[in-house]
Amino acid sequence: MSTPLIILIVIAIILILMYNSLVAKKNQVDNIFASVDTQLKKRYNLIPNLVASVSKYMDHEKSLLEEVTKLRSEANKPNLSEKEKIDLDAKITKTLGSIMIAVENYPDLKANENVMHLQRSLNEVEEQIAAARRAYNQAVTDYNNTLEMIPTNFMASMMGYKPKDVFVISEAERKNVNVSELFAK
Amino acid sequence: MKTISELTDFYYKTLYPVLQELEKDREAVKNRIIKIGIFYTLVVFGIAFSIFKYLDFEVFVYIVIFYIAGWAWIYKFLISDYASDFKQKIIAPLIKEIDENLDYLPDLHIPLANFNRSKLFTSRPDRVSGNDYVRGKIDNIEIAFSDFHAEKKHKDSKGRESWSTIFQGLFIVSDFHKKFHGETVILPDSAQSLFGDLIGGWLQANNFSRKQLIKMDNVNFEKEFVVYGTDQIEARYILTHTLMQKLLNYKKKTKHPIYVSFIKGKIYMAIEYNDDMFEPSVFHSLLNYKIAMTYVSTLHLAIGIVEELKLNQKLWSKV
Repeated sequence: MSTPLIILIVIAIILILMYNSLVAKKNQVDNIFASVDTQLKKRYNLIPNLVASVSKYMDHEKSLLEEVTKLRSEANKPNLSEKEKIDLDAKITKTLGSIMIAVENYPDLKANENVMHLQRSLNEVEEQIAAARRAYNQAVTDYNNTLEMIPTNFMASMMGYKPKDVFVISEAERKNVNVSELFAK
Repeated sequence: MKTISELTDFYYKTLYPVLQELEKDREAVKNRIIKIGIFYTLVVFGIAFSIFKYLDFEVFVYIVIFYIAGWAWIYKFLISDYASDFKQKIIAPLIKEIDENLDYLPDLHIPLANFNRSKLFTSRPDRVSGNDYVRGKIDNIEIAFSDFHAEKKHKDSKGRESWSTIFQGLFIVSDFHKKFHGETVILPDSAQSLFGDLIGGWLQANNFSRKQLIKMDNVNFEKEFVVYGTDQIEARYILTHTLMQKLLNYKKKTKHPIYVSFIKGKIYMAIEYNDDMFEPSVFHSLLNYKIAMTYVSTLHLAIGIVEELKLNQKLWSKV
């Protein structure tokens, strides 16, 4: 075999490997986002129940409940982009957090079996979402890295790959809400 | 759970009469060991020297090996009574004092099935040994641990056998409080610390004997450990930021390499040690503070994982 041919084959193999790793990373991101999405939907499904069972008691927080209901219907719209879903998730997390804090002010509500059960389910889903979010962020970081690093960046720009957004993980979440402490009060 | 200082108090106060009695035994055993040791050494070397002229070097090496192995056997025989007394009278009450629901079986070890199920080590052992098996329930969490030594047999081209150690140290199994389906394995990060981030990272990502590499979002944790698993999300569901921090603290406390895995609702933990957990001290007094502390703190460390890692905090999914 002549030298030019060998060089050509080596270059071809390198190109194929680069291409494949880019595709694999992109699919990994999509894959994990699908799981994030499932968990988010689980949480959305809990919201109507929650609103229904707390609205009788909560007079001062009507606006919070309305807001969370509105956000939920927005999140249920079809054809949302990943970025929109990420933004909506951040808002819902915040509003749900405020509702949970508000629940603390109503002793009747705190003792309500139904609300307690919802709180548990929400906490469990919350943990799952946190994990999925972290997995997504890692996948996106890997993907974005290959998009910016030499030599894969040239190929990525030719393939039209764009950097993706990560979820912003709040400081409070990093500390990981302690469920039992919440109930011990 | 009782604190280390409470346990040390218990050791010195409640166990004091027993300790004094054992001290006498210890002195006697020590004297006997020294006498027999000198005698044994003189005999073996006497024989070796008398036939020295007729020996080539290889035979001499065999004699040295025989001498060491023989001594290990004699030593074990000499301290066996004293050792079992010590375990019955000191270690057993200490364990009961920590928690009444714990059973102590000095001569047994963790079942091999547990070791294999943990998937912490990729090679299957051909021979296992161990002792000081403790098992029971703390806060309704099942826990079991023991000294464990797993070895693999090798044969060279001449058919000679040799044994290499897969793992030696403390092996702990306990219930884990979260529900999960896959496997997550945490190993000491040897590749990255040996070869640096770039090559080490590549080696980790291409470890064929393990599942997918899972990169964690805690810099210190990543420095100390490497995580493999079947599910990227589940691994992070198990390894929350809090748990990662706790494992780091635990590692700092033990000062030994630790291996952790989460499989089928259990947490497996292997802590590498070179010596036995509860072997009685022969050449130092049992009343010596340092000696007492090693017994108390090893026990505390093993049983403490339930509290340390908050395994007793039932999560709602498992209620």
